[in-house]
Amino acid sequence: MRTDPNIPDPDGFYEALLDTHAGLSIEESHALNARLVLLLANQIGDAAVLRACLAAARASAGQNRDTASRDTQNRETAR
Amino acid sequence: MTGSSARVQTGGYDLPVYDYVRPPELAGGPRRRYPVVIVGGGLSGLTAACDLACRGIEAVLLDEDDTIGVRGASSRGICYAQKSLEIFDRLGIYQRIRDKGITWSVGKVVEGEEVLYSFDLAPGSASAQPPFINIQQFYVEWFLVDRIRELGRTDLRWKNRVTAVRQGAEHAVLSVETPDGAYEIEADWVVDATGLASPIRDGLGLPTHPERGEDRWCISDVRFRKPLPTERWTWVEAPFNENRAVWQHLMADGVWRIDYQMAPNADPAEVSRTEVAEARLRAHLGPEVEFEVVWVGPYSYRTHLMDDFRCGRVLFIGDAAHVMSPFGARGGNSGIQDADNLGWKLALVLRGEAPESLLDSFDAERRPAAAHNIKVTSRTGRFLAPRTEMERIIRKAVLDLSTEHPFARLLLNTGRMSAPFRYDASPLNTGAEGEAVPNVRLGEGVLSDLLRGEGAAFVALWAPDPAQPGLAAALQAVAERGWPVRVFACGAEAQPLPHLSGSGMGLLGLTPGTLLLVRPDQHLAARIRDADPAALEAALARALCRAPSDALARA
Repeated sequence: MRTDPNIPDPDGFYEALLDTHAGLSIEESHALNARLVLLLANQIGDAAVLRACLAAARASAGQNRDTASRDTQNRETAR
Repeated sequence: MTGSSARVQTGGYDLPVYDYVRPPELAGGPRRRYPVVIVGGGLSGLTAACDLACRGIEAVLLDEDDTIGVRGASSRGICYAQKSLEIFDRLGIYQRIRDKGITWSVGKVVEGEEVLYSFDLAPGSASAQPPFINIQQFYVEWFLVDRIRELGRTDLRWKNRVTAVRQGAEHAVLSVETPDGAYEIEADWVVDATGLASPIRDGLGLPTHPERGEDRWCISDVRFRKPLPTERWTWVEAPFNENRAVWQHLMADGVWRIDYQMAPNADPAEVSRTEVAEARLRAHLGPEVEFEVVWVGPYSYRTHLMDDFRCGRVLFIGDAAHVMSPFGARGGNSGIQDADNLGWKLALVLRGEAPESLLDSFDAERRPAAAHNIKVTSRTGRFLAPRTEMERIIRKAVLDLSTEHPFARLLLNTGRMSAPFRYDASPLNTGAEGEAVPNVRLGEGVLSDLLRGEGAAFVALWAPDPAQPGLAAALQAVAERGWPVRVFACGAEAQPLPHLSGSGMGLLGLTPGTLLLVRPDQHLAARIRDADPAALEAALARALCRAPSDALARA
C-alpha cells in the first residue's frame, strides 16, 4: 500500500471531491462515497493492496478526536 | 532621519506623525503636471513610491492620513514573503526589516499536543533572503517612508485626500482636499493604492464583484512570556477554541499574532470584548502565563477582483484591485509585488524607452496572479469552514489519516504560503518563462544588486561558450545600441563583458551558451540557448512591447 504523496495537485483534487458532493443530501453523499470507494478499488486491482487499505482505513478512526469533535458538532447543532 | 515631528502612542506602540505641509498649488504656485501621482500611503503605494524614487522618477504621493498604519494599532499584514524581501533588498530597506522582524521558515499543523504535519521552507531556497520575516505592517511602511525621504525624489503629501479623478487622453486631473482647502493636480499616470474602498475606482464606476465570506475570525495581538519556538503553528481543531481553527505566530517586539476562528453566528462585538478575548487567551495559554493584549479585532473574509487593473491613465494596485482572505499571507505580499511589477514599466514608458502599451502587461500579469491567490485562499477557507456535513466528514478523514499516512498531510490546508506568481502566459515572455528568479549570490553580491540604478534595465546573464569567441563583443554591442540591458559573463570570463562568478550559476541552470534575460522585477523574460545578439534583441523587443528593429529609441 502506498502512503507517500501520490495525488497530483492535492488541493485541486480536494476541491473536485467536495464539488462532486455539492447539492446532495447527506444520504446521497454517503451513497456517492460508497460508489466512489468501489470505483477506486477497481482501479487498484490488487487484492493485497485492497486488504491493506481496508485495514488502514479501519485503524485510523482517531478515537479521542472523534469524541471531542462530536461534542462540538452537537453544541453547534443545538444553537 | 528627521522622519517626523511628533509621535502618537497607540496599542503600546510609538508611531511617527508626519507634518502636513501646505501644497504648492495652495501657496500661490502654478498648477503643474507630474509624471506620476500615487494615491494612498499603505504598503503597496509606499512600495511604488520607493521603487520609482530608486529609479529616479519624480512622483507625488497623496495620503489622507498623517501617519503609517491605521490609527488604533490595527494589525493587518505580518508575514513578508521571500519575493517581497528581495524587492525590499533592492529598495534598500531589507536590513532594517531583518533586524527588527522575526525570521522563520518552519510551519506546523498541530492536533492537541501532536504535530500532524510540518514544513520547512529554508532547505532548497536559493535566495539570499529567508523564506519569511514576520513584522508588523506599520514598521515596513515606516521604513519605506524613511527611505523615500532619504532618496528625495518624492513629494509626500500627508492629509491630502483625493475626492475625484477625471481623465483625458493625455493626462488625468485629481481633485484633492486638504486642511487649507481644495486644489487640483495633473498627472501623466495615476497609481491608485487607496485600498479596499477605493474612491477613485468607485468614482470611475469600475466594478469589483465582491463576495463576503460567512466564516468569522478574531485576532488577538498579545505579549506574553512563554518560551515558544518562532514557528507558524496552526490548529484545524483546537481543543482550547471549541475545536475550531487557531493560528499562532510571533512578530516583532515579542508580540504574538493569535487568530481564532469563531462560531459561524458569532457576534463581532461580543467576541472582541476584553473579558471574552482574555478568557480565550487564558484557555489557550494556560493559567500561569502572564499576558498583555495589544489589539483585538474581529473580521470576516471578503474577496473582490477588478476586471482590468488599468483604466486609461489610472493603474490599480493592492487592495484597490484585489482582495482575498488572509490565508498564506497573500494580500500584502501581492500588493508589494503589484508595485514591483508596475514600477519598471512606468519608468521605461516615462523615459521614452517603451511604448504606453507596456502598461497593459501590468494587468495581463498581475490580474492572473490575483485570481490565482483568490482561488488558493478560497480553497483554504473551504477546508477550514466546511460548508456541509459531508465536507466536515471528508476533512475529518484527512485529519485521521494524517497522523500515520504522509499522503494525507498534503491535503491538510491551513494556508498555502505566498509564493511569487509565474507569468507563464505573459505577452512579454519569449517562450513559457515568467517565473521569479531567486535572489542568488553572484560575484561579490546578489542578483538584485545588478538591478539597481536609475531607470530600469534588464540583466542578461550569459554563460560564455568557448567555441564562439566573438560573441561577447556582439552581445555587448546590443546594450550599446540603446536597449536597456546590462550583459554579464557568468562563470567563464569573456572580454569585454563584466564578469560574475558565484554559487548562483548552477542554481540558475546556466550551461555554456545559455543566456537568461532577467527583467527589472527579477522575473525571467527569456531563457535563450545558443544565445546570439539577434535572439537577445528579439527577446528585449518583446519584453518592452517594441518592434525588433526599434533599437535606437533613445540614441
